[in-house]
Amino acid sequence: MQAAWRDVMPKPRQVTVNGVTREVMVAPGTSLLEVLHDILGLTGTKEACGRGECGACTVLIDGQPVMSCISLIEDVRGPVTTIEGIADDHTDLREAFADCGAFQCGFCTPGQIVRAAALLREPWPENAADVETFIHTAMSGNICRCTGYTGIVDAVMRTGASRGKLGGRVS
Amino acid sequence: MNHVGARHRPIDWAARSAGRVSYSGDVKLEGLLEGAILRSPHPHAKIRSIDTTKALRMPGVHAVVTSADLPRGARYFHEGEKDRAPLADGIVRFVGEEVAAVAAETRAQAYAVLRLIDVDYELLTPALDVRAALKPGTNALHARATGEANVSRRVLRQWGDAAKGRNIGTVSVSGTYHFPRQAHVCMEAMVSVAQWDEAEKRLHFWTTTQAPYYVVREVTQVLGLAAGQVVCHEVGVGGGFGAKSKICDVEVIAGLLARAARRPVRVKLSREEEFETTKTRHAFETAMRLHADTSGRLRAIDASVTVENGAYNHSGASVMSAGLKGLGMMYRPEGVELSGQLIDTSMQPGGSFRGYGTTQTSFALECLMDELAEKLGLDPFELRIRNANQPGETTLVGARLGSARLVECLNAARKAIDWDAEKAQRRPGRGVGVAAGVHVSGSFTEPGANRSDAAIDIFPDSRVRVRFGGADAGTGQKTIMAQIAAQELGVAYEAVDVLTIDSERTPFDMGSWSSRGTHFAGHAVRKCALETASRLKALAALKLGEGALRLEDGTVKSDSGSIALGELARLSNESMDGVLSVETSYVDPVMELPDKETGRSNISASYNFATHAAVVEVDRRTGQIRIIDYVAAHDIGTSINPTLIEGQTIGGVVMGLGVALGEAMIHEQGKMVNGAYLSYAMPRSADMPRIRPIMIEGGDPNGPYGAKAIGECSINPPAAVIANAVYDAIGVRIHDLPITPDKILRALAEKEGRTRRHRIWARPSRWWIALVRQSYPLGLLKLLHGRSAPPATCTDPAPLKEVATPDSLPAALVALNGTAVLMGGGTDVQLRRRQRLIEPETLVALRGVAGLKEIGTTADGWVEIGTATSLAALATAMRSRVPMIAEAIDTIASPQIRQMATLGGNLIQEKRCWFYRGGFNCFKRRGGLAPCYAIAGDHRFHHNAIDGHRCQAVTPSDLATVLLALEAQAVIVSPAGERTVPMADFYTGPGETVVKPDEILRTIRIPPSALSRKGAFTKLRLWEGDFAIVSAAITVQLDAAGRWQAPRIVLGALASTPWRAFDTERRLAGQAVTAASLRRALDAELDAKGHPLARNAWKLDAAAGIAEAATEVILARREAVGG
Repeated sequence: MQAAWRDVMPKPRQVTVNGVTREVMVAPGTSLLEVLHDILGLTGTKEACGRGECGACTVLIDGQPVMSCISLIEDVRGPVTTIEGIADDHTDLREAFADCGAFQCGFCTPGQIVRAAALLREPWPENAADVETFIHTAMSGNICRCTGYTGIVDAVMRTGASRGKLGGRVS
Repeated sequence: MNHVGARHRPIDWAARSAGRVSYSGDVKLEGLLEGAILRSPHPHAKIRSIDTTKALRMPGVHAVVTSADLPRGARYFHEGEKDRAPLADGIVRFVGEEVAAVAAETRAQAYAVLRLIDVDYELLTPALDVRAALKPGTNALHARATGEANVSRRVLRQWGDAAKGRNIGTVSVSGTYHFPRQAHVCMEAMVSVAQWDEAEKRLHFWTTTQAPYYVVREVTQVLGLAAGQVVCHEVGVGGGFGAKSKICDVEVIAGLLARAARRPVRVKLSREEEFETTKTRHAFETAMRLHADTSGRLRAIDASVTVENGAYNHSGASVMSAGLKGLGMMYRPEGVELSGQLIDTSMQPGGSFRGYGTTQTSFALECLMDELAEKLGLDPFELRIRNANQPGETTLVGARLGSARLVECLNAARKAIDWDAEKAQRRPGRGVGVAAGVHVSGSFTEPGANRSDAAIDIFPDSRVRVRFGGADAGTGQKTIMAQIAAQELGVAYEAVDVLTIDSERTPFDMGSWSSRGTHFAGHAVRKCALETASRLKALAALKLGEGALRLEDGTVKSDSGSIALGELARLSNESMDGVLSVETSYVDPVMELPDKETGRSNISASYNFATHAAVVEVDRRTGQIRIIDYVAAHDIGTSINPTLIEGQTIGGVVMGLGVALGEAMIHEQGKMVNGAYLSYAMPRSADMPRIRPIMIEGGDPNGPYGAKAIGECSINPPAAVIANAVYDAIGVRIHDLPITPDKILRALAEKEGRTRRHRIWARPSRWWIALVRQSYPLGLLKLLHGRSAPPATCTDPAPLKEVATPDSLPAALVALNGTAVLMGGGTDVQLRRRQRLIEPETLVALRGVAGLKEIGTTADGWVEIGTATSLAALATAMRSRVPMIAEAIDTIASPQIRQMATLGGNLIQEKRCWFYRGGFNCFKRRGGLAPCYAIAGDHRFHHNAIDGHRCQAVTPSDLATVLLALEAQAVIVSPAGERTVPMADFYTGPGETVVKPDEILRTIRIPPSALSRKGAFTKLRLWEGDFAIVSAAITVQLDAAGRWQAPRIVLGALASTPWRAFDTERRLAGQAVTAASLRRALDAELDAKGHPLARNAWKLDAAAGIAEAATEVILARREAVGG
């Protein structure tokens, strides 16, 4: 049975974004992306597909990367971190993106950076020779149509190296 | 500081990498409404009437517009042929054509209201492909100047003396090559925000574009406005690739809605609309013959191309013409004779796409060059070197080459790919390929296209601003313009700002297309900066005297002192408020408009060449191609910013590899069926190797600082490189892109003379199915389709009343109430809601249910897994205990999805059939006599080859395949109690299970016996994270002698549910199995039981191949502990 739009009542929801708890009035089943982008004005998180298939809307929930476009606000069970909450703490990563040609149009870039920031906290392969393939695979949830990926992989590797991750250490 | 040639960071890198650049969809305006477009569900129909009264009465609706709201006869003027109305004017010519539009308070309201607009259509017979369009008696889509039905344009080009060339060229090769439609897939889908200023009577736009010039010009004329009434504002542009090089299909509609609603309106296409309705790369069929003499000199090229135009002209004629011109630029035959026909079909229109026709014809030319080399017994590099154009030559098409470094590119690529060593080693299944490419640096195709203006402001604080009328869709013009201004004005790179797009404040430029950005922005800004510098020097001379003056450090310096630029600006009597502004116009001195009769001219100022080479490995068992190494050598003139040049090179290569390996837009009944990132096989990071660009430098006399273009040339060679490398690896030549595993395996089977005999005549249970399948193309599909509602693209889920988040299983069962829909991670449920496969009032989220995310071991050794466990957590928990579970999970979707998706959701997810998911009213959506669109549609990858009945879909879950091989059980609970079902009985159909609406799948149990078995999971897919085309999960008990005891061999995505190869299991039991012995047994069983559809018999070969691979993994693990 399908509900009609007139049956839909906005309800207050609390969500903690970048360390600040906010209350928003939204219809049931509103996506986290819509809350972030259109209601809270955090426009760094982008919608490119709305189907959970491209990674442009990647945010962290409880530190884990997820697709905000298919996350319903009711089912968000932890603090949310967006590109706005990450950018200042990852200047090295962003500089590496700029230096390595890891973005062109920049539309997928916030999602790439958020995903990469999480990856930089995950364990990396012990064997340095496996790192490039590891990053190629780990970044595969974030589609980029411009760069051909080589620059993105280089940027993440360079940042990992400077953060001491190439020895397989978990930071 | 030398800024030109430096690896400066992109000008706005800090903002862009922090998500602070405002794209059109991010623009915040007071009272912004959301627009939605009603589209034709029919490929060809007359519109008898449109009734918008119901829609207009709905709350929240502010405007509804149709063609009646446009000036009478309003048409876009692409290529001067006004054949398309911004909203259909009495007739629709493709599925998805814009018919009406709505502006409402919310996006959901806007899309919901579309359903209330009644359109009365009178259906016409559509021509859905070139063959149908050219069939005698077919309705003409338009009245065309050719006088021939559905032939929009014919062109014949004869340059040089082809007849003489044919006489000398005694060796010839020929072939017909097919290049499919490709989608741009800009990450930012089409979006336009419009605001009507009633006081000023002006229409403001924040719109994603490569060419604001065309947006302003076309909106002005289509809406009957006067010059100056349409204004574009600067925004970030999320990719272009040609998709936005003219006006798109949303700006006029946004403007019309904004004017009608008197409020700002955002029209933003959904990803599905973007795929299914916007302009595409034109599909080409290129028949070509090369004639050469025995010394390896190419003497003549004959080619005829058939270009599918789609429903409207747009760039079709010019793309076709550019594709032919490319054949007159690369090599030096005596002559060429080229013909082209542009065919109208009732399909998505083609448009401009990076490479612009040359990509399509290069594929044919460069494949045939390899065939010619083989026939002549020449090395492919050597053949190309012998025929390369040289600097200073005028090519057949009239291109006057300044610099031309094709030979240098060939030599560099040969060395970098280690060609000679690769050729000498000849490893099985491994091959190396090469192809060359050529492209222009801008083209003089219409008046104004040889000109570009620029302006520079010097502010009192000595900051510099460049104003330029084009747009930077990610290709870096803003950065190089800042570098050039910094270079000529002696200021820091960081002291330069660049304003683009703004139609009020920037001077004339036609935009970023035809690789013209570097050439025109470069020259225009350089000229303006030099003029500005000379004025600043003149001002400085008044203070510092006439001695040698130089611009440095933001000042003009002499030996006696220095003055800041801002200070000088204030001194100028031309300055306003202390700002000195200088504007200049650059007109290219060497470009020529094409001759109307011959099509010849020096169309561009410089020409850039390239050579790419690659090493590939082709898996003869699965048809999968892996690129081991890829090098791209480009003749770039000089580089203004090497990082940007490399970026354009690598990006173009990967976009080209997309169409080489997977990308093709597939249609059924006129509607695209793979219009999603999920089903459009474009490259992901893991699919691509490191691409190694090689810059061949050396200035061009006509380029700014010697620079030539790079944006498009890099997309031309990759398809032929891969086709040539595949031929080298396995000896089969694929003429039809993309080179997907099905084509490889079919070609190999044909070459090796292998066929499968399924003896359907001896299997009465299959007779009825076989008869129905055979009847589909003979008229049954047409009949059943005609009785069904047309397919509809759904991108708006029905509203929800509630999302319940129970914390206990009993509470969840109560909330479920038999009508709500359960949600694990929601990754499939949200998609099914969007696709209108489900329209629940309530969703019940399971992730908060206590105990449902636990993994434990019972006293008797069973592993029990709560079904709300995320795939990521499950993989971590199983990696050492049951590695094949973790290995299967690693192949599923993406890290983000694995974080969200649950075990239960993975098992219960619905079938992924493109037709079912894509809005086709098929048997599974509508029941009754509705057809199965997969039977006659494209079923090569995701449909069954065994056991199909009414529905040809398969169960998509990889874990289903694995858990069946592990003899797992499912524990299902309901208010009445719980029941345990073996995985073997869990599925009742494709993606359909025994779990009833009031039940919850609580636990998956894996028996202790499974933990001691060896197992492996292997999967064939089109891209990293895609659903299986076919997969194999094998578990065995190995005895001390290495013999297989009680093997379980399960093939996924081959039948409607995970399919056990019982006969093979029986035959192999107790044997010391090898990959070859498994293959023999499995082949026999697949022959006996298979019943493939018309084009997916190859999946049986792939299944046997992927099972062989799994066997090898098990054999390799024999000595390993566990798993």
